[in-house]
Amino acid sequence: MGKTLFEKIWESHVVVEKPNNPSLIYIDRHLIHEVTSPQAFDGLRMNNRKVRRPDLTIATMDHNVPTNDRSLPILDQTSAIQIQTLEKNCKDFGITLFDINSPNQGIVHVIGPQLGITLPGSTIVCGDSHTSTHGAFGALALGIGTSDVEHVLASQTIWLEKPKPFEIKIKGKRKNPHAVTAKDIVLSIIKNIGTGGGTGTVIEYRGEGIEDLSMEQRMTICNMSIEAGARAGLIAPDEKTFDYLRGRKYTPKNYESLVEEWREYLKTDNDATFEKQFTLHIDDIAPQVSWGTNPGMTCDVTESVPFPDEFAHGDPNQEKGAEKALNYMNLKPGTPIEDIKIDRVFIGSCTNARLEDLIEASKVVRGQKISPSVRAMVVPGSQMVKKQAEEMGLDKIFIDANFEWREAGCSMCLGMNPDILSPGERCASTSNRNFEGRQGTGGRTHLVSPVMAAAAAIKGHFVDVRKMDLN
Amino acid sequence: MKGNIIKYAQDNIDTDVIIPGQYLKVHDYAELATHAMEGLDPNFHSKVKNGDFILSGKNFGCGSSREHAPIALSHSGIKAVLALSFARIFYRNAVDGAFLLPIEIEHDAYDGISEGDEVDIDISANEIKNLTKNQTYKMKPFSEIIGKIIAAGGLFKYKPDQD
Repeated sequence: MGKTLFEKIWESHVVVEKPNNPSLIYIDRHLIHEVTSPQAFDGLRMNNRKVRRPDLTIATMDHNVPTNDRSLPILDQTSAIQIQTLEKNCKDFGITLFDINSPNQGIVHVIGPQLGITLPGSTIVCGDSHTSTHGAFGALALGIGTSDVEHVLASQTIWLEKPKPFEIKIKGKRKNPHAVTAKDIVLSIIKNIGTGGGTGTVIEYRGEGIEDLSMEQRMTICNMSIEAGARAGLIAPDEKTFDYLRGRKYTPKNYESLVEEWREYLKTDNDATFEKQFTLHIDDIAPQVSWGTNPGMTCDVTESVPFPDEFAHGDPNQEKGAEKALNYMNLKPGTPIEDIKIDRVFIGSCTNARLEDLIEASKVVRGQKISPSVRAMVVPGSQMVKKQAEEMGLDKIFIDANFEWREAGCSMCLGMNPDILSPGERCASTSNRNFEGRQGTGGRTHLVSPVMAAAAAIKGHFVDVRKMDLN
Repeated sequence: MKGNIIKYAQDNIDTDVIIPGQYLKVHDYAELATHAMEGLDPNFHSKVKNGDFILSGKNFGCGSSREHAPIALSHSGIKAVLALSFARIFYRNAVDGAFLLPIEIEHDAYDGISEGDEVDIDISANEIKNLTKNQTYKMKPFSEIIGKIIAAGGLFKYKPDQD
């Protein structure tokens, strides 16, 4: 019987396997950052252990870093300590670090692919749930906790229960690919299968709707696999994948011969079977806007805020969840999405802060001013993205429209650096989570694509970006 | 293992309400514990007692990979979370650091157990006894290696068999 892409990668990395039990899996690349690694290094020191493969471990700082002027000191003492601790740990254990002043600094899931660290067929872990992003290259990429970070530092392996392969087929073609984006595809998937729909699985995204996407768009899709509860998300590598990785800083010397092997091997066999399947037709999908407090609570921009009972389809916990979400979001059922006014706009995060995201958003913004009642910011995903965007003059387009143009980092995705919402503020955000308090205590998050966020910044409320000229 | 139940009758309790992002910089676990569940239930810290269990619905611990989530609950005194299902990273973090037991339950336990009930978790029998209501429910058994990691007291105390 044939094998899925996931099974092929899994089998080539198994060190120990026993039926019905977790397997010991070899890890090819370990990415670390300042927030989930300090206790892991403490553990190594306490037990007098070394980092087994410092050459396969790469560090950067992204979660805590302020995104204003980099020449200023970091005012928050606890953040400053976490950043200094990562510097010391990398020095002591011989790990390459892209620090706050490095031209390669950025969100760990943006810099991995940009530097050619992310390779097809490899296993990648990081103490961050959005590690699933790297699956866009046909890598098995998993988010792990700090105990597992320590385990990987010490042994270059983790114990993992074998997830089940889940096929998500994307059929059809978007009529307006500038207005209906990869973000809208993945939000549509989560809206349909739910935030627990992928639990215990590795999703493989397939079909013409995926093949059509650029590498950066595929990263947006795989990034949000975790929001469907999946362990990871994968896309089989193709010529776009191989072209993207050619000639980058860490691209292997024998790259072309690797590509030949990958071309043959890294795909799901025709006679392979998946344990779960879902198909999404994208011919007619609309831009998506989340209205609630998890990414599954999402609807079309043309719809209205749902009534809890119609959302719940008879599930009492879902109905209660929706009522609680609407209360937190201060939204009335039946309100047209386009009538929802916003206070803030955040274009950033590992989901949507790559060069293409900024190019697309700039087309909406060009020659316009943001609504006077809105504060809007663009936070490039990496210093490299920032530089490329500036070379194209995108910074000027955003600044002329009164956007703030900032330095790279996780910024307002997760409320642990100076970029946060004030209580009650409502934000159109290109990030990945609309949980209560995610962008700051009492903040209200609506998840959207970069073009939808840009359009909302101009109008001061949500608007169907298909009505705008994006060419 | 006996304890009293704190019940959150809802699905999708996420890591950001278990421990909001601004506290991920806190390394003192006792201080971290004072912010546990702050995003969902500001009274949690004043009502939780050492040895309590949390009971909740589907997809408990969804979201971030932050190990601070099970750490904050554990240092608040929570010894186990009983839920209809768990997000997998939370589940592994709970087990790997031996912070608390993630117990997967069925609807009979979820519906039958109320806030404040005293329950007795018997891992060897895969049973939960409700001492307050005199009912017994099945729990989903741990897989063999997960059981061994739990018995060893966490990932770093677990010694894989040599066979």
